[in-house]
Amino acid sequence: MKHVIFTPAIAAFLAIAAASLSPYALADGSHGHGGGAGQIGAPGKPGDVTRTIEVTMYDNYYEPEAISLKEGETVRFVVTNAGAFVHEFNIATGAMHAAHAPEMQMMVEHGVLEPDRINREAARHMQATMGHGMHDEPNSLLLEPGQSGEIVWAFPDHAELEFACNVPGHYASGMVGDISLTH
Amino acid sequence: MKNISQRRLGALALGLMTALGSAASADVYDITVDRVQIDTGEFTRSGVGFNGASPGPVLRFKEGEDVTINVTNNLLEDTSIHWHGLILPFRQDGVPGISYDGIAPGETFTYNFPIVQSGTYWFHSHTGFQEPDGAYGAIIIEPKGREPFRYDREYVVQLTDAHPHSGGRIFRNLKMSSDYYNRKQRTLLDFLGDAQEQGVAAALADRGDWGEMRMMPTDIEDLQGFTPLINGKGPEQNWTGLFEAGERVRLRFINSSAMTYFDVRIPGLKMTVVQADGNNVQPVPVDEFRIAVAETYDVIVHPKEEKAYTIFAESMGRTAYARGTLAPDEGMRADVPEMRDAPLLTMGDMALDPAMAGMHGAMEMAGGEMDHAAMGHAAMGHDGMEHDGEMAMADGDLPPGAHRMPDGTIMGGPAEDPFYAAGSGLEPTAAEGGKFLSYSDLKAQRPLYEHRAATREIELRLTGNMERYIWSLNGVKYEDADPIRLQYGERVRFKFVNETMMTHPMHLHGMWSILDNGNGKWNPVKHVVSVSPGTIVYMETEVDAPGEWAFHCHLAYHADSGMFRKVIVEGGPDEQAALAPKSEG
Repeated sequence: MKHVIFTPAIAAFLAIAAASLSPYALADGSHGHGGGAGQIGAPGKPGDVTRTIEVTMYDNYYEPEAISLKEGETVRFVVTNAGAFVHEFNIATGAMHAAHAPEMQMMVEHGVLEPDRINREAARHMQATMGHGMHDEPNSLLLEPGQSGEIVWAFPDHAELEFACNVPGHYASGMVGDISLTH
Repeated sequence: MKNISQRRLGALALGLMTALGSAASADVYDITVDRVQIDTGEFTRSGVGFNGASPGPVLRFKEGEDVTINVTNNLLEDTSIHWHGLILPFRQDGVPGISYDGIAPGETFTYNFPIVQSGTYWFHSHTGFQEPDGAYGAIIIEPKGREPFRYDREYVVQLTDAHPHSGGRIFRNLKMSSDYYNRKQRTLLDFLGDAQEQGVAAALADRGDWGEMRMMPTDIEDLQGFTPLINGKGPEQNWTGLFEAGERVRLRFINSSAMTYFDVRIPGLKMTVVQADGNNVQPVPVDEFRIAVAETYDVIVHPKEEKAYTIFAESMGRTAYARGTLAPDEGMRADVPEMRDAPLLTMGDMALDPAMAGMHGAMEMAGGEMDHAAMGHAAMGHDGMEHDGEMAMADGDLPPGAHRMPDGTIMGGPAEDPFYAAGSGLEPTAAEGGKFLSYSDLKAQRPLYEHRAATREIELRLTGNMERYIWSLNGVKYEDADPIRLQYGERVRFKFVNETMMTHPMHLHGMWSILDNGNGKWNPVKHVVSVSPGTIVYMETEVDAPGEWAFHCHLAYHADSGMFRKVIVEGGPDEQAALAPKSEG
């Protein structure tokens, strides 16, 4: 499938739309995920971006399968879901992904996360009845089929990071890639 | 395993075809059917195998190739090979009496068919009891495109229930006495225990009901005394697959048993189910799964530690277990768990038996998905039995595991699996806690057919007389039955009503079985649909394969005693070609 070219304005809108639907995944210590946000880097400033990487999500894998970066680099990820299912692009450590997985499972059980769509009504219901549902988080995008989004991320000098999809079963069956940081 | 003598037929011409975007290679495989020795570690016996061994070779095909398979019969009796789950012209399906005449002693039969699918399948003799006697092997078909999952290495894990008796002898013994191999018959002591727990009247009533059924609560496996094998190795012989820590390992589980369902787990490892019956499913992480006879499940495990893990597969009736090991080095082993207690069938499991319907008001409690009126049970009365709480069935309107609080509210209980009767003794739970795969969890990764309404419904009651060991469909055994006639282009909805107390893995040859598990357009595409006692299960079939096909319970001794039909698909563009006798090369 051809990559769609997005104007910055559309891409930013999509990123915001998608991020607002992403479940909480940032390990800030307060949710017991271990590690601090600084460990994985932080949202970057568009002006610091040194390169743009296009990532395409298929069922159930990424292209590219791994990403090599320089230490401390700020990268714009343009992520497109070319699959038939909902997929996530989430930058974190393996442990953080593992901690995030049960939350995604809960979203499936509450009907929020259907195989090929995000049920916004169920999300509102989950928020209303359980007091938590989906949160903004700068390190991940949860995209329906056909959607695109952007993340600008400032990487730290040293970290063992993976980009991964935590839709239940996807990480476990291989929808995960290493992000290597080198000199 | 490709024979060394494989020939690349017309490589040049095929190269041209490939350039034109047509089919790829055409490989030739040679298989012999032989008498072999089988050593399970607990007994040795003579049996039947392929290429001198049981199990036979792992055949590796590629989607899009044309295969030629020469099968030479070295036995003193007829044989056959059926390619289980493969979509192919019906003359290639390998069922004597339906697809062809079988293969006479000394004869070579040449199969030739295109490979139009990918995934994990198996092959076995469809003649007599050669399959229970050891004539089975695995098929792996590599897909044309990329898999929707990733793994670093793979193993076939082929299960069977090797028995010291030959299949023919077992069948004669079962016909003579259906409980010949049931070592778990209940004793006077069990009765006294029940009487203490339930009261003498209830215990007696319960015994009476079971007598009426001609069955016993322990009738989960009508064949016991077998040694479960993994890839031909018994529990002590410990089949071992190696891995390096951090690798993803794909395990292709195939249940080639004659009669035995297994509950499979690998303590310490989550298994992600990615394929069922050769078709990819949306991945489901589980802790344990049940594999029916003739099903396949592919799972991916991700062992991160340098240690051994036990593959543990208990038979559903808990009379024996298969055991293998995943380890970083040969010779390493992990703890082997104790088998769990045997389940007992309950009144819930006999809920659909017509003989019981008049006696039990309790039947009405058996669950929402059962349509008694449609089954002619409308007259079912409440007069036969008191619901005074002495029997477990008195709470039969509650989901399994749930209980009623003194104030009347219903508490907890695990989520009910709709593929078991309410209150069933067979509904499994994960041994180490966590998730047990349900049929409800299976969703096609890429549906093969557009979802549409069925054009016709056919009801098949799964019926039997345990005492005489006659198994049948709609009360009629194979030799007395007319074929089921389907029209090319139909989408037929089969309604299985299991009126027996056994679990039956129903297998339609030649066309896919789309299990209706409530997932709509993602209903999974299978070749075996298991139907638990006391349940109704629907599957739909797009009738797209002209010819004559077998349709049967895959429990070897049930199929042979009559739970079997011929299906004839009439019409279709290829009818003449399909029905024309196949000339042998």
